[in-house]
Amino acid sequence: MSLIKYIVRRFIALLPVLFGVLTLTFVLSRFMPGDPVLAFLGDRFTTEQYNFQLHRLGLDKPIIEQYFIYLGDLFTGQWGVSVSINKGQPVWDLVLDRFTRTFDIAIMAIIISAIVGIKTGIISATNRNKPKDTIFRGMALVGVAIPVFWMGMILRLVFSYYIPLFPGLNYKSPGIGDPPIITNFRVIDSILSGQIYLIIDYLYHLILPVFCLSFISLASVVRQTRSSMLEVLEQDYVRTARAKGCKEEDVINIHARKNAMIPVVTVIGMSFGGLLGGAILTETTFNLNGVGALVMIAIRNTDYWVLNAVVFVITLTFVMVNLGADLIYGLIDPRIRY
Amino acid sequence: MEHESLKQEPEKKTKSKESDNVIKNILSWVINNIKFLLIPASRLDDLTSREREYEMKISKRKFIRRLKSTLTILGIAIIFFIVTLAVFAPWFSLYSFEHLAGVHTGMWDPPSPEHPLGQTTLGRDILGRIIYGARASLTIALPAISFSLVFGVIFGVIAGFYGGWSESIIMRIMDVFLAFPGLILAMVFIAIWGQHIEYIMIAYGIIGIPYYSRLIRGSVIQARELPYVQAAKVAGASNWRIMFKHILPNCIQPVIISFTFDIGGIILSLAGLSFLGFSDPQLIEWGNDIADARMHLYDAPWGAMWPGIMILITVLGFMLFGDGLRDALDPRLRNL
Repeated sequence: MSLIKYIVRRFIALLPVLFGVLTLTFVLSRFMPGDPVLAFLGDRFTTEQYNFQLHRLGLDKPIIEQYFIYLGDLFTGQWGVSVSINKGQPVWDLVLDRFTRTFDIAIMAIIISAIVGIKTGIISATNRNKPKDTIFRGMALVGVAIPVFWMGMILRLVFSYYIPLFPGLNYKSPGIGDPPIITNFRVIDSILSGQIYLIIDYLYHLILPVFCLSFISLASVVRQTRSSMLEVLEQDYVRTARAKGCKEEDVINIHARKNAMIPVVTVIGMSFGGLLGGAILTETTFNLNGVGALVMIAIRNTDYWVLNAVVFVITLTFVMVNLGADLIYGLIDPRIRY
Repeated sequence: MEHESLKQEPEKKTKSKESDNVIKNILSWVINNIKFLLIPASRLDDLTSREREYEMKISKRKFIRRLKSTLTILGIAIIFFIVTLAVFAPWFSLYSFEHLAGVHTGMWDPPSPEHPLGQTTLGRDILGRIIYGARASLTIALPAISFSLVFGVIFGVIAGFYGGWSESIIMRIMDVFLAFPGLILAMVFIAIWGQHIEYIMIAYGIIGIPYYSRLIRGSVIQARELPYVQAAKVAGASNWRIMFKHILPNCIQPVIISFTFDIGGIILSLAGLSFLGFSDPQLIEWGNDIADARMHLYDAPWGAMWPGIMILITVLGFMLFGDGLRDALDPRLRNL
């Protein structure tokens, strides 16, 4: 019960941030040079058409009034239609279709980097200042120092051009269709419609992007795991466990690891923001046709509505993942009550 | 007339002396602070001179010993290499700056004796461009991060020290900027202001502010209640004096560590921005070159490879150095 109360409280605390992000998007997008009506109409139009569209999009009103109409529309779910990409398509259809792909690679990358990073971090903590430790830390640093888009290009070059193991571009093989849209998540939709081969094809295409994206947060997970493990291994209860004759692996896996995990979970949550930015770059490299391409077109054509929805959905995801991280604390450490 | 001019001369002299003193004061302040940060116990004035000498020797050795890991030295060497490359670019490059920005024949030509690493779409020499690219990355990253450092520290100290409504206003605004996806924020700023190097700097400067203010606010809140701050208050020091002379020097250490790391991070995100086509297209910059080569990845892999390796090396250098610095300065790891 207290958990639900805690979640509700956190949600209420989030509202000002989301409101602030929406306001910031509004302000920034109105400052952008360019005219969404021109993007909508293309090259040939009459003055009447222009004025009609200006009125229809609500851009002829004073800016303050536009702002309040904008806020009102957000609450009633009218987030507007795209004026640049698929003209007239509601932005949510467009953004959700693209964003789920970005989200898929980001979430897979964070899971992989969490698993691998915690394992590596523990190994380098238990072998402190030995060659193994230096090699692991150095490799993690190399991983974070590689520009993710460049790494994607090199992976494409090596593993899909020189050695054709994996597909280099796109998220599905040519000639393969889409599952019926139910939740917009390709994996879930494929399961619901019973087309398992779609999932296999999709995941096969995501191997390289996810591999390259997972390096972004790997180094910070390794570093945090290592330093908090080192701290925990100095504690009295670890010495007690060793003194009473526990096996060394039990000392690490049972006594030490759980207690070292809380700062690691925080770091994983915080690194998700950078991961979403990296996902935009990665999907550009691999032509995954995700939200990155969308937001670039939206900014170039001053498509306020698409930009707004993209920013909102990314912010919401980031904030939700951090809320999830806070909830995981309770699972790790039963002493924490909400 | 003569009389007046005679009168004015001594005044001028004293003025120049004063300005000399100001410069000397600032310099000694900077040096003292660096000493304070790098050499523990360098400010212990109440020690006898022998104790002090001994303490200094020990602590200096300690710091250097802590910094003396293979990885850290590698990082310092890389930073030195990149800075040398940037400063002496005209000496290292086979071609002049104008030549590298011009249009020539030889589209995506493979490596040859004249062009050791090949040529780009417009026939530009890749070796020259990656050497000059070091300039762009460093000249954008350093001012940008200094900008966010200065403003982030000011906001963070004010928020942490005063608390109350000023803290809530500042930190709520910072939260909004933190939650806003950084890459998109940079793209929108560039779209608003135009694709120029100064605007890229300012955009990244603004994006970095919330991280630093968060970082410093936490330690200021802890330091606010410590006895030395209370003592300064009792002695009648003004709030500004307490904030920036008493609290700040004791809280700046995590920021300095983060600073070294973030130079690497900002070079990386700058390259990402250029890759998406949102930086100055005229700029000789590694990210721009990679973006150029993207469409010719399979037929001209050298176009993308070298700029990427340069980014990797540079960022790695700053991160290795930052890692070593943190290990040396972090009090939690000091005794392990």
